[in-house]
Amino acid sequence: MAPVTTGIAGTGSAFMATLKRDLLIASKRKNDMLNPFMFFLIVASLFPIAVTREPQQLTDISAGVLWIAALLASLLAMDSLYRSDFEDGSLALLLLCPQPLYFMVLAKNLSHWLVSGLPVVLVSPLIAYMLKLPAESYLPLFLSLLVGTPVLSLLGSIGVALTVGLGSRGLILAVITLPMTVPVLIFGTLAVQEPRFGADLAGYLAILGAQLLAAIALAPLASAAALRISVN
Amino acid sequence: MNDIAANPATSESAVPMLSGSDLYCERDDRVLFQGLTFTLAEGQVLQVVGNNGSGKTTLLSILCGLNDSFEGKINWFGKPVNENRELFLASLLYLGHRIGVNRVLTPLENLRWNCALTQPVHKSKILKVLHSVGLSGFEYSQCCILSAGQQQRVSLARLLLTRAQLWVLDEPFTTLDTDGVELLEQLISQHAKQGGAVLVTSHHRLKISNLQMLTLGKQRA
Amino acid sequence: MNWTWFHQLGSPKSFYALTSQWLPWLVTVMVISMTAALVWALLYIPPDYQQGYTTRILVIHVAVAGTSLAFFPLMAVAGTITLVWRIKLADMVARNAATLGAWFSFVTLATGSLWGSVMWGTWWEWTDARLVSMLFQFFLLLAVIALRSAMDDNDKAAKACALLSIVGCINVVIIKYSVEWWNVLHQPNSPVGMSNSGANGPEFWLPTLLMVVAVYLFLTVSLILSTRNEILHRERKAQWVRELLAAS
Repeated sequence: MAPVTTGIAGTGSAFMATLKRDLLIASKRKNDMLNPFMFFLIVASLFPIAVTREPQQLTDISAGVLWIAALLASLLAMDSLYRSDFEDGSLALLLLCPQPLYFMVLAKNLSHWLVSGLPVVLVSPLIAYMLKLPAESYLPLFLSLLVGTPVLSLLGSIGVALTVGLGSRGLILAVITLPMTVPVLIFGTLAVQEPRFGADLAGYLAILGAQLLAAIALAPLASAAALRISVN
Repeated sequence: MNDIAANPATSESAVPMLSGSDLYCERDDRVLFQGLTFTLAEGQVLQVVGNNGSGKTTLLSILCGLNDSFEGKINWFGKPVNENRELFLASLLYLGHRIGVNRVLTPLENLRWNCALTQPVHKSKILKVLHSVGLSGFEYSQCCILSAGQQQRVSLARLLLTRAQLWVLDEPFTTLDTDGVELLEQLISQHAKQGGAVLVTSHHRLKISNLQMLTLGKQRA
Repeated sequence: MNWTWFHQLGSPKSFYALTSQWLPWLVTVMVISMTAALVWALLYIPPDYQQGYTTRILVIHVAVAGTSLAFFPLMAVAGTITLVWRIKLADMVARNAATLGAWFSFVTLATGSLWGSVMWGTWWEWTDARLVSMLFQFFLLLAVIALRSAMDDNDKAAKACALLSIVGCINVVIIKYSVEWWNVLHQPNSPVGMSNSGANGPEFWLPTLLMVVAVYLFLTVSLILSTRNEILHRERKAQWVRELLAAS
């Protein structure tokens, strides 16, 4: 039997295959897709009830509320990222495929963000209206969430990869992940609030973009290493 | 058990496909194995036996590179596995306890992804293989409605779709019925005849010629 | 270059033996410098024209705060050693560093807010970037400890915590700069900061310097002591530990 040297799948096609597979799984499990979205809606609607009904006060807190709701929604959605693959053994297959694990992790992260993060971003202007966010802040909110939520997913992926083998995950994922999201939260909310007072939106988006690039470059490496530790 | 040298497939190359020397592994302060040395040549089937908890699964995952908590050397055609990891992985098929079949996907979708990670295969080939492992009629049903044995057969289909030289199979017989066991034994013998190598854990007495044994822990009386 | 000393230090047994020789010296120097620094700081620093006697708290605060910044880099280095060279001792150090680091961060926060209660009239002030980033460093250290306690496989826990420490170390730096930036942008009129205040004469920074040395020595000694403890626990089945225990 000749050694296998030809016909090995390219990294690009393996990336696409993994992306398609995860999207296919998500399309068959509509709940996984819908729940983060519902969570975002509900949490954001709780604030006016608990904090204030005054439009002016709502305006003041809306940027922060929207960002924190998006942050929590993305965190809650993370748990499903590697769990079923860990339990049914697909993760071991992924670790043992000849392609760099970095790209496979990136494919899984991308598909996960597309089904759980993107819907939240898309619906955010509607919730922003309900929370009396000034109309000129809709675009900054939308753009900052669009650039910022993938960073949350990439960071969350590290936490999930570290904890996927644990019997009782409980809140440990949140304890690990939430402190790491502070920089995104800072510049995400600033990007929504500051342009109203004359600051340049592009600057904040650039910083968020830089965070996204850094996260794309580094976070999947950490996730891949964490997966190798967890599958053992 | 046959002598290794008697096998024509091994005589052409003196360097074994996979060899481990002086392997040592402990878990939770308990030594699972030490000084473990073995070779696996082309055309050879090596059955790893041992009592529950003797480290069979650990050994297999160490050899695949899923577990790096060990000491000792593992060579792939005479060179350390780490130096040629990509080629090694391209030549490896691993079938674990957890068989790697997603429950919401259909057998076809599962296998398609498996193949896409290693060597892409046309859909018609996958359908043909599903037929030969006895899953015709289930190609398009979600795996969660299949029985455990049928799900195991989905993973067996990977054996027919791969060009990997080395099969590492961890307890592949557990959920199979008698037909399934026979099919798998046939697949293993065939693979060995074609010059492949198989590493398998099982408590079954395998009906395979040219079978080598590797016993972990204390030998049973 | 000869690396044998490195490998020797890497084995728990020789670490134990080596530190047995070092400890008496280290402890002596630490006690002397700590006493001197404390007496100097708490009794002899003249009142500042702006902050009065509160600068005396600041001496301890600055020393502890500066030292607690060393923990994540230390844990990241230990983590790298754990992941790359798989030296068990590195993990033992990392494990104790996490706990110690959490305590140091806590003391930094406590002394900071004690000082703040006098200077700002409030125990907690979000506008001080240093305190806020220290708070998140504290949270991240607690996260490492939480991850360790959630895993029951020692070997896995070591690797997972090593990785989280490396990620956390990078993250702490990003958090630090983000929070500083956020502060500048958000709150241009912040109250008296801790660094740019009047307390910067030699009568202030000399005892602070001594205190920093003393606190670093304290850190080293506590890390060594807790690591020795950990060695005895993890190697309790080893021959040399049994002999040691039988002799004592």
